[in-house]
Amino acid sequence: MSVPQYRKAAALALVAGLGISLTACSTKSGDPQNDASGKVTITVDCQPVGAQKELLANWNEDVAEFQRQNTDIVIKSVSVGEQCNNPPDFTARLAGGTVTDVFYGYMTDLAQVLDSGQAMDIGEYANAETIPTWDSVDPALKEVFTDGGKLYAVPVKNYSMGLVYNKVLFQQAGLDVNNPPKTWPEVREAAKKISALGNGIAGYAEYSAGNTGGWHFTALLYSQGGQVLTEDGSKAAFNSPQGRQVLQNLKDMRYGDDSMGDRQLLQWGDLLTNAGAGKVGMFVGAPDTTQAIVSQFQGKFEDWAMGPLPGQDGAAKGTLGGGEGYFFKKGLTPEQVKAGLKWIAYQKLTPGKGQFDYARAKPQNYPVGLPQPLLFTNGSDAQKQELELRKTNANVDTTNFAVFEANPVPIKGEPRNAQAIYAVLDAVMSGVLTNPNANLDALLKTAEDKVNQLLAAQS
Amino acid sequence: MAITSAPAASRVTGRPAPPPAGSPRTGPGRKVRDNLTGHAFLIGAVLCFAVFSWYPMVRGVVMSFQRTRRGETTWVGWDNYLRILDDPSFWTAWQNTFYFTALALVLGYAVPFFVAILLNEFRHARGYLRILVYLPVMLPPASALFLFKFYAYDPSDAGLFNAILKALGLPTSQWMQSPEMTMPAMVIASTWMNMGSAVLIYLAALQNIPGELYEAAELDGAGIWRRIVHVTIPQTRLILALLAMLQIVATMQLFIEPLILANGAGAEDSATSVAYLIYQHGFFQNDLNGAAALGVIMLVVLAGFSAVYLRLTAKQD
Amino acid sequence: MAQDSGTRTLISPAQLRRGPGRALYWTLLTVVIIGFTLVFLGPLYWMVTGALKSGQEIAQTPPTLFPQDPQWRNYADAWHNLALAKLLFNTFYYAAGAVLFQLVLDTAAAYSLSKLRPIFGNAILGLMLATLMIPAMVLIVPQYVTVIDLPILHISLLDSPFAIWLPLVANAFNIFLLKRFFDSIPEDLMAAALMDGASALRTLWSIILPMSRPILGVVSIFAVTAVWKDFLWPKLVMPSPETRTVSVGIYAFAGGTPMNVVIAASVIAAIPTVVIFLIFQRNIMSGLTTGGLKG
Repeated sequence: MSVPQYRKAAALALVAGLGISLTACSTKSGDPQNDASGKVTITVDCQPVGAQKELLANWNEDVAEFQRQNTDIVIKSVSVGEQCNNPPDFTARLAGGTVTDVFYGYMTDLAQVLDSGQAMDIGEYANAETIPTWDSVDPALKEVFTDGGKLYAVPVKNYSMGLVYNKVLFQQAGLDVNNPPKTWPEVREAAKKISALGNGIAGYAEYSAGNTGGWHFTALLYSQGGQVLTEDGSKAAFNSPQGRQVLQNLKDMRYGDDSMGDRQLLQWGDLLTNAGAGKVGMFVGAPDTTQAIVSQFQGKFEDWAMGPLPGQDGAAKGTLGGGEGYFFKKGLTPEQVKAGLKWIAYQKLTPGKGQFDYARAKPQNYPVGLPQPLLFTNGSDAQKQELELRKTNANVDTTNFAVFEANPVPIKGEPRNAQAIYAVLDAVMSGVLTNPNANLDALLKTAEDKVNQLLAAQS
Repeated sequence: MAITSAPAASRVTGRPAPPPAGSPRTGPGRKVRDNLTGHAFLIGAVLCFAVFSWYPMVRGVVMSFQRTRRGETTWVGWDNYLRILDDPSFWTAWQNTFYFTALALVLGYAVPFFVAILLNEFRHARGYLRILVYLPVMLPPASALFLFKFYAYDPSDAGLFNAILKALGLPTSQWMQSPEMTMPAMVIASTWMNMGSAVLIYLAALQNIPGELYEAAELDGAGIWRRIVHVTIPQTRLILALLAMLQIVATMQLFIEPLILANGAGAEDSATSVAYLIYQHGFFQNDLNGAAALGVIMLVVLAGFSAVYLRLTAKQD
Repeated sequence: MAQDSGTRTLISPAQLRRGPGRALYWTLLTVVIIGFTLVFLGPLYWMVTGALKSGQEIAQTPPTLFPQDPQWRNYADAWHNLALAKLLFNTFYYAAGAVLFQLVLDTAAAYSLSKLRPIFGNAILGLMLATLMIPAMVLIVPQYVTVIDLPILHISLLDSPFAIWLPLVANAFNIFLLKRFFDSIPEDLMAAALMDGASALRTLWSIILPMSRPILGVVSIFAVTAVWKDFLWPKLVMPSPETRTVSVGIYAFAGGTPMNVVIAASVIAAIPTVVIFLIFQRNIMSGLTTGGLKG
């Protein structure tokens, strides 16, 4: 080979090598269109991860059964991790455009999803034809996913927070397992008794990191009748007697009684890990936290019961609610949207199937009988069916949740700009839980200034 | 500075000599072809630089003046910068980051140097000691930090550090739960897991110091400390200066330590770093444009550092 | 090595051989050996045994030195639940690719800049070196939006190993190291080869590279370490559980796992690299100390 040819070959090889390498990585599953066989393919996320063995088996079984019934639809499941929606990962997926055709999100994600320009209006497709139980679905939940008259997601879960407590520890501490504390002073008393058991057990546990501290501060504030923001959402409203009371309660428990354990700066998984290990007497959470404790944190669901969120001197004035839904990625064909709706209808919104297949869940290490997911309007056909099924298949003592169900608390949603505000409020929570000399008024004042500054900059 | 090593152990002095006259590579046609060949060898790396370094740099600046809402991108002037400067955590984050950088210079920078001097004096167990120092570098960073988080910095008396303090009759600490201890604790963990590389680099530099210099100094009656000050440090000045700069750039990017040890912001925001704030804005608060602006601000600050650094090192030469 | 050749260091060998100096030397050596063992090996011991303790035992005051009732299950759980084998494989795969890409592309570039010196070569080198002053964190956002939608090609590199390999090629420090090394290779050798009619590629292959083994070793070590130590970038560009690196995987997993299992996973994750390091430590150490940086 002559010299110039040699060189040219080298240059070509380099360029080609880079070119090939760049194209080789575009092997993302091509546009899931209707393929030659006339089948419609959609990708769906939030498939349980391998560690959640039974949940994963159930999901796969549902996919197989659904595809058997709908031979023209192919469901491709995607797992995005133990938590279907971990805020930073979810934001990254939205920004990266890597969400699946049908993707999971929280109710509070609507604004973010719309900003990313990734969601499509499914209003004209969502009806009793695609989702047989559609008319039974609580209109308030549909409203949450509606913006400017357009519907962007199908609600699949709805919950509100209450006081979750460990019956075993209650028993050991000589407390009445069927009569959970109804006020914060009662919580404090109970926490004191439970932590007296020693062994590093916290009577009451609370978050203070990773934006979860702010999230729970909000729930506690609602229980006192407080607000995070003013009505018009322009100013912080938590620097109030109610906000102060929240902190005072925590401070009394943490440093007055030392009943909240030594380890703070907890976020979601940390607290549930401790709970699963039997180290937490009480915490604030939704009914499905007991599911997480069982499926991920090696706990036993028989141990857990739930009461309504306590109030200061009586019933709570409000509680934090939330929920989940499935969005549809912009640019799907009408066939794909309809296929996606059918799948959600089958797996999430049909009594006796999918998440409501209580007969299947009963023998599994998985709680049936939780007052959740509260999707259907009270008195609707679907709601009655679901309730009936739940009662016949319940494997948890439904009395565990009877107090929670019998004492409904008004539900409030999360504030606007929730994550940014939670980041600020984390410092309030970590302040009161890690500093014995924390000045509560100063903590609230600083946070108030910060949130006001933040809101002013955002507008 | 000589960041190199010649194959024939000859010290490199400067630019290479031009090709000897009368080499066959002359003539205009040759010239063009030679240039083409040269660029053919360069193209792969240049493309990577262009796509993953130069272009993102420009794009970062552009993004910092834009805002994307509802899928539409518009020019917003300085809005993002104003929003970032108004972010209540902005100054806290800078304060924390500078504090960490300063502490890391004392601990993470000086300690490896003196460890290297010490190790260089030993005539025995050299290999063993070096392996020990380098071992933590081999751990995945997340593993090393979880080790500190769960065992060492456990605020109860069951924690390793507190157990040791207690056994010694000293007061225990809340570690990451105490705003005062947050930064020192992060520096300790960070130094432990990273110092191995620095020690090895210093050792290499120390072995290059001609022994005669020490002999001469000793004859002049210089004690150990004065020999370090007058021989060791001047002889390794360039590598010391280089590592100082690298360390500043690295510590300014403090991220995984607060993320794992403090679950992000830490007690009363005592762990929030500028890098963590970039992450918060970009990936928690759906504000990539604000995060880009914060990145540009960070770049400006580091450019300031570099200018000072160049000024200082230039003066010494 | 100093102890072999008896090179003079800070303290004279004579002083160390004399009575008091000798005693001091041995005392200090003993103290340092014990101290370093405690400081650097101690935590690792704590890690390995801590992962064997039960949740109860971990919370015990004072902590126990030996696990009373070893829970081997923690290690088994970590291995299975975390799919550690997959995570480790991913990490090594990314590291190997990073080495390959950097060796090929950076060496070619440094060779060109050092020996072929094409027109604008110095300007290009200057632009490359300028990136040394730009920390990764500054670029993280624009780099991320670039990777999810590459200019011109409009493809996404998310979950593709190229998202790790290619940005690492843009490493000015490596190019600088390589170029300085190549600069020190006498020009006469090149000229002689060219006289013989050898092409640029052949000169690189058969003359330059054989002389450059130490520096290539150093670049490889840096490439592996960069992949091993990086966290935020792989966390962003490898979002799927199937493509994660070990560090990111352990972090993602830690949110929902008992802490003993997290630590057990950390131990397992560390084993392969520590073993590789112990086997090759002589080469790695000498590569780092003689090949790379000298003051």
